[in-house]
Amino acid sequence: MLRSFERASSRTVIFGAAIMSAVGMTLTGCGGSDGGTGGDTDTAPAATDGAESSVKLHTVPEGESIDLAYVTNGIDPFWTIAAAGVKAAANDLEVNAEVLMPPKGVVDQKRMMENALARGIDGMAISPIDAANQVAFINQAAKVTNVITQDSDAPDANRLCFIGMDNYKAGREAGKLIKEVIPDGGKVMIFVGRLEQLNAQQRRQGVIDELIDAPMQDGNNLNVSPPSTPIKGDKYEIISTLTDNFDYAKAKSNAEDAMSANPDLACMVGLFAYNIPNCLQAVEGAGKLNQIKMVSFDEADDTLAAIAAGTVHGTVSQQPFEYGYQSIRILKGLAQGDASVLPEGGTLEVPVVLVRKENVEEFTAKLAELKALGA
Amino acid sequence: MKKILGIFGLLVVVFVFTAMNSENFLSAYNMQNTFRWIGLFGVIGVGVAMVIITGGIDLSIGSVIGLVGSLLALFLAKGYSPWVMVPALLVGSAGIGLFHGLLITKVRLQPFVVTLCSLLFLRGIGRYATADQSVGFGQGFDILGTLAHGSIPLGGFSLPVPFISMLIVALIAGFLLQFTIYGRYLFALGRNEEAARYSGINTDRVTIGAYVFCSLCAGFSGIVFALDLNTVQPAGMGEFYELYAIAAAVLGGCSLRGGEGSIIGVVIGTAVIIVLKNAINILNLPSQLEFAIIGAVLLAGVIVDELVKRMVARKRAEVAG
Amino acid sequence: MTDVSSAAPLLQVTQLSKQFPGVRALDGVSLSLYPGEVLAVIGENGAGKSTLMKILAGIQPPDAGEVRLDGKVVSIDSIQAASKLGISLIHQELNLADNLDIGSNIFLGREPHRWGVVDRRAVDRASKELLEQVGLDYSPRTLVRNLSVGQQQMVEIAKALSVQSRVLIMDEPTSSLSQRETDNLYRVIHSLRDAGVSIIYISHRLGEVTDLADRVVVLRDGHNAGDLAKSAINHDNMVKLMVGRDFSEVRAYTPRPLGEEVLSVTGLVTAMHPKHPVSFSVRAGEIVGIGGLVGAGRTELLQALFGVVPPLAGTIAVAQEDTSITCPIDAIDAGIALVPEDRKQHGLILEMAVRENCSLASVKRDQNRGLLNREEERCICQEMVEKLHIKTPSDQQIAQVLSGGNQQKVVLGKWLAMKPRILLLDEPTRGIDVGAKREIYQLMEELAESGVAIIFVSSEMEEILHLPDRALIFHEGQLAGELAHGELTEEAVMHLATGTVVAA
Repeated sequence: MLRSFERASSRTVIFGAAIMSAVGMTLTGCGGSDGGTGGDTDTAPAATDGAESSVKLHTVPEGESIDLAYVTNGIDPFWTIAAAGVKAAANDLEVNAEVLMPPKGVVDQKRMMENALARGIDGMAISPIDAANQVAFINQAAKVTNVITQDSDAPDANRLCFIGMDNYKAGREAGKLIKEVIPDGGKVMIFVGRLEQLNAQQRRQGVIDELIDAPMQDGNNLNVSPPSTPIKGDKYEIISTLTDNFDYAKAKSNAEDAMSANPDLACMVGLFAYNIPNCLQAVEGAGKLNQIKMVSFDEADDTLAAIAAGTVHGTVSQQPFEYGYQSIRILKGLAQGDASVLPEGGTLEVPVVLVRKENVEEFTAKLAELKALGA
Repeated sequence: MKKILGIFGLLVVVFVFTAMNSENFLSAYNMQNTFRWIGLFGVIGVGVAMVIITGGIDLSIGSVIGLVGSLLALFLAKGYSPWVMVPALLVGSAGIGLFHGLLITKVRLQPFVVTLCSLLFLRGIGRYATADQSVGFGQGFDILGTLAHGSIPLGGFSLPVPFISMLIVALIAGFLLQFTIYGRYLFALGRNEEAARYSGINTDRVTIGAYVFCSLCAGFSGIVFALDLNTVQPAGMGEFYELYAIAAAVLGGCSLRGGEGSIIGVVIGTAVIIVLKNAINILNLPSQLEFAIIGAVLLAGVIVDELVKRMVARKRAEVAG
Repeated sequence: MTDVSSAAPLLQVTQLSKQFPGVRALDGVSLSLYPGEVLAVIGENGAGKSTLMKILAGIQPPDAGEVRLDGKVVSIDSIQAASKLGISLIHQELNLADNLDIGSNIFLGREPHRWGVVDRRAVDRASKELLEQVGLDYSPRTLVRNLSVGQQQMVEIAKALSVQSRVLIMDEPTSSLSQRETDNLYRVIHSLRDAGVSIIYISHRLGEVTDLADRVVVLRDGHNAGDLAKSAINHDNMVKLMVGRDFSEVRAYTPRPLGEEVLSVTGLVTAMHPKHPVSFSVRAGEIVGIGGLVGAGRTELLQALFGVVPPLAGTIAVAQEDTSITCPIDAIDAGIALVPEDRKQHGLILEMAVRENCSLASVKRDQNRGLLNREEERCICQEMVEKLHIKTPSDQQIAQVLSGGNQQKVVLGKWLAMKPRILLLDEPTRGIDVGAKREIYQLMEELAESGVAIIFVSSEMEEILHLPDRALIFHEGQLAGELAHGELTEEAVMHLATGTVVAA
């Protein structure tokens, strides 16, 4: 499905058109939403249905500058690209936009948001780290400014819309990449920073369900498979899911241990951006490049280089640039009192891009170009 | 030697248990990896052991690793020569140790406070210098990379270079402690700094030396870790590694009260921790339990050690009486 | 005062023995304590007084013997048990939490409380009464930190009274008190005695014992050396029982030939007594004793000479050469060695072997590019063990288990290995037994004969009177006077040490 919205900047149009965009989905870097169970959540909350006049907007008098804030859930290369989108949009649309990256979890995020609110801003796009428990705080913020969510949703809060997609579906796409590269089946190992985050659970379950040909689930209401018992499908066996708490050395040693424990390992899947680069180090050290197949998420430099070299089969890239760009576009409209910028159904789906050897060069070049826009 | 027996026994138990439950544990590949990790972590364990013997502590190790790793990646990516950067970073690390030592001896600050501040400060500097971005090395540092990836073939098994580096560092430290006057002074001041001073020992200089050695080990380790991983994440690299190093040192017989410890014990202590981590993955135990298992085994280790020590003391008292 | 002979003893100790590694601290000691009496327990250092008191206070268990209270055998296996029996020990070093106030200290661990909250009013009320009893006119809310040492001692006594103590043991209570505080202590002791409390009073100060005690028990080398009834308490009797022989008989003083001047101190000022510069000189082969009361600045003088606490001003010349001494290393380089007062804190590394302790100072001299020479080390230690008759099972034995005397010899050995020109000794015989004492005296003389200049600080009158060629007596930081061997009498020393005329 192609993008259904108008681009504000013609310079970015080529990107989407050139790359096949599969099903709409989101993904985060490594610090996605820690939503716990996710709760009973419709993607289109009643309060913000459509762009109706019932929506109460905080507007800025004409002629005054518009100050916006873009809050991530952590520090990651993923967010650097999103920040480039924010910056590009701020230039194109002539607003002030600030990117806030909380280094250490939910406490830092809250502190940074409070500081921004205290300074007085005209709109805020956030990726809540702990959506279920941040509702009250988000609502408080929504009383004084326009709040939208991006990357990770907080459907129970009074946010005006959500920009992003379902990580579960992204996981299923990654599963398809695995099926492409080892069509005859085999042992699969999953690597991730932390499993308690909702996006990690969604991606992982998507991969598993696709490999064992389970029916589609609701991404916000998942039945999660236990992490350390092997899961067997007809052809594929998911041995285990190893976590590393964002310690790169541990990530690498996990990959090594996986190869030690399973000499016949067929494929590695890295759910966070840095996982496959670290797996690559381990696989190269073991002399098993090309023997063990790899599938990744996100667009780390090493991953893209390895796709080009043929050692990694492919990656599922969400378009973080769009997260940043679209957030600023919508917030600016809202600050000017234009409710029509709100997407239908309250959710703006940003499609994922599957990067394989055949389109990696183009993708990499485009990425560099987008990053340069934000520089 | 008696002290090492306990920890060595623990290593054997974990080792044999894992080997019996997984045929892959003893594979050359897995053993090589295990030795490499022991090498990488062993260096900082040996370093902190010297400081612990003085009765001090160094909490900044992880941040030194992060800072040195970040700066190495940053400058190599900018095209600086590794032959300049590596020595420069080692000198810088020694400088950090010197700074700690001076604050602790001349300004009389507590080691815990000084190195805790360093832990925060150096981490912040590392993140600022790299703008918090992961930094990769790219390609082309093959000779330097040998420090991390190299190995020396021994029949069907190759001994990884990091393990050999660690052995060299351990030999240096062991030699210092056992065969030099410096080592004697280190133990003496760890036991009773006042009496050492009254005996004409320049306790300040000896203490500073220990901190310099420790930071130097951390800096070296930072370089090798960075090369091993090929990319560096400034906010997270080396975080909490000081705790592994301290745990290994204590497990290996270093007393946090000072004046006690052996290098071979620290190496074995590191091996216990690394083999445990490896065993958890090899045996496909839930990786969420990792910390719990390590913590429990270490605690059991120190409890048994303490009980044995008390038994020995009681025996000795009976003999004396 | 109760009539001692007719009453039954309140506390009766029979055949108490206690063995420590290497030393028999108590060997069949017995004593009785009657209600309302002040019993002085005296003896030289190492005679077993402290061990006896620690056993009575429940700090250490005895190896053999029994303690009866009111005729019943009791077991005092903890401080709590002693306190329950009404026995309280007031330590030489006070054990107060100086960050808390008086009331909190008195009731520490036994706070009256209501629903878990300290009943501060009750604390204050009870404390006030107790403070009146000991003549301390302070609010119970005063921080202990702000009291003088003597006042703190009164708080300790009040604390003992608060648990209805029947037996109060005082260990060297006047050692750091001023004259006025001592007088007040006497008054309190008398009034407690009149109230029926029995007091065991341990002191080195024989004058105090004469003033206070109703009866004296003398200990020597862990044995009972004899009792003195009130009428028999006088200085000579006590000394005779304590020493067991006339001190000067043991070693007759023979004048030694003195050499060149090796140490000359001019205008030396220490931080403790910045107003009193000190000047003196010492010749090779001379033994100089430094006397005075605790706090007279004697230890500080030695520490300044050794560079532990560098002097604020003044010059030190070693062998006619001006020498700057800012740390012990400087002093050692100049040929000065110090056997410190606190053996365990400053002299030895207790957990290290005898051999390593012996070589700790000299190991640097024999260095071979920074490497240890273990053979050399063994030889040095062997030599010292033989020369000083150090009794140790092996030179690998850790210093901690040796007796005090042997520990002191190890410290001496450490310095003799350096062949010092000037040897400073701070209370060299504190806490060691009589045999070892004699050996140390002998060693000091031998060293002096070989040309070493020796300066020693001692609080034991006998040592100051008999050992040195010359004595320097300090009073509150000031060099009050100098006495040649022939002029040394107890009166003359006390006269200078107290800064007053002392009645004979």
